[in-house]
Amino acid sequence: MKRPLQMVLLVLIGLGLLHASLFTDLCLRYVKEGMRPLVIASGVLLVLLGVAEALDVWSHRRPGGDDASREAGSHDYGDRGHGHDHSTAPHVAWLLLLPALSLLLYAPPALGAYTASREAPKVVTERDHFDPLPATSPVPLTLTDFIGRVQQDRDQAIKGRSVEMTGFVTPDRRGDGWYLTRTIFMCCAADAQFVKVRIHGSPAPPADTWVSVTGTWHPGGTLGTSTAVAALDARAVKRVDRPVNAYTDALPLAPSP
Amino acid sequence: MQKTEELAEEAEAAVAAPPAPDEAPEARPWLWPLLLLAAATLPGTALFVIGRWGDEPALQAWRTICLAVTVQALPFLLLGTALSGAINAFVPARLFRRMLPRNPVLAVPVAGAAGVVLPGCECASVPVAKSLIGRGVPEAAAFAFLLSAPAVNPVVLTATAIAFPGSPAMVAARPLASLATAAVMGWLWLFLGRAEWLRPGVRHTGHQPGRSRWTEFRRGLRHDFLHAGGFLVLGAMAAATFNVTVPRSVLDTFSGSLWVSVLFLGALAIVLAVCSEADAFVAASLTGFSPVAQLAFMVVGPMVDLKLIALQAGTFGRAFAVRFSAATTVVALLCSALAGGVLL
Repeated sequence: MKRPLQMVLLVLIGLGLLHASLFTDLCLRYVKEGMRPLVIASGVLLVLLGVAEALDVWSHRRPGGDDASREAGSHDYGDRGHGHDHSTAPHVAWLLLLPALSLLLYAPPALGAYTASREAPKVVTERDHFDPLPATSPVPLTLTDFIGRVQQDRDQAIKGRSVEMTGFVTPDRRGDGWYLTRTIFMCCAADAQFVKVRIHGSPAPPADTWVSVTGTWHPGGTLGTSTAVAALDARAVKRVDRPVNAYTDALPLAPSP
Repeated sequence: MQKTEELAEEAEAAVAAPPAPDEAPEARPWLWPLLLLAAATLPGTALFVIGRWGDEPALQAWRTICLAVTVQALPFLLLGTALSGAINAFVPARLFRRMLPRNPVLAVPVAGAAGVVLPGCECASVPVAKSLIGRGVPEAAAFAFLLSAPAVNPVVLTATAIAFPGSPAMVAARPLASLATAAVMGWLWLFLGRAEWLRPGVRHTGHQPGRSRWTEFRRGLRHDFLHAGGFLVLGAMAAATFNVTVPRSVLDTFSGSLWVSVLFLGALAIVLAVCSEADAFVAASLTGFSPVAQLAFMVVGPMVDLKLIALQAGTFGRAFAVRFSAATTVVALLCSALAGGVLL
């Protein structure tokens, strides 16, 4: 790979990363929010590296280039006797073009119902203490909080309460019923886990639709123990826009007081 | 002036060529037509496939995961190559000689323990290990560092403590088993390793007098990043393939017997190629498995996985990567079984 091509490749990857992290929210589909500054920094660094290369090549080609750059150029090409030539990159580097163009032109969507329906639901971590539920009705809850309260809260504070949760639709693989789902990244989409709550009493909207569901706990097992089912009797299912923070299990908006 | 230099070099090369006839098979002339053919057909095929099945959920999930692994690892790869470029260009070789014990047998565990200072995941450690070798660190010590750094640094240990709340034994067992594996592999290399498994050229970077250090740093960074980045994409593709074709929900069928589950989670760590900062959470989510198997997942993962094998093959050569990864897997499984048996 010739130096001008390497330069273009570096700039393209850098621009791809910047496009995904700085100019748009695309990177949140692939990595967790905390990675964003690192991705931005890498993008800037790669673009700078590409530009520095460009200046180097340009000043080397210019007929009246100064001595320093001519010297730099000559030892650049003088490397090739060693068999470890730093002025060319191996052909495998072309593969980097795929993610770069993918980010710039044709970014794949976030993981959704297809992957969620194939994965076992994430196990909600053990909690000892649950804060009292706010008095509002319906109570906005995250899916994790709901499942935790249903399966671990011995005070059964959730009993009879109307709750509101937001997520995307994952149809059951067997074809009956559906799950309200949220994706959780630990680091990136390769380790994505899904929290799911089974929804009863409402026909399934199309897969991957974002909905807000209001309802009460669907009785099954003993509430407050691990036998309790993570399920909801839906009273209302309303389509919503995908929240900004779609790739965590968080409340879509700050709950109104 | 430049012309005469080039002429002189060609003459030099011509003089140097005859005494090295054994380099001829390395060139592998048949490879280039194949590569050209692949370069000519692959983009077209890819475009066709994407156009045809671009909306298939499985292919979209594959692309998402492939891109996610790449985007997630690129900053760390850049950090690693920058660090390695800086070591090559700015750090004098005698510094390492002074810091490490002169006896290589002792240098191995010291280098392994020094892995604590490199915060990041495994992609960063491969180029750094290469530059350490370039700077005259014994290979065995550099490999111990390569293996231990992604597993014992504070970021990873903190993540482990968060993923396994109320299980301090796991937080202790992970670095212990990882350090033991790194040291054993370093010693194995010391006594059984052969220099010819390493790609020639690994040992010859580094600052040479009369060159601009800054230019050298920039050049090394560009070359190493592009090189390792290509292999990273290759590894990400392989990992995404396994991730999409083998859903995690079928794994629980293997959780029955202790030995099978240890072997199985070790193999899973290799094919999933989860970043070492996240693998503790994945291990914690595999609740059907025994703690020893979860430990094996976390010890093998940062040392051997598809993207690492691809990176190592690119950096040190394929002959090395295959032998080294196979041996590391065995040693890592044994060490985690031992540490897990005692501590968990």
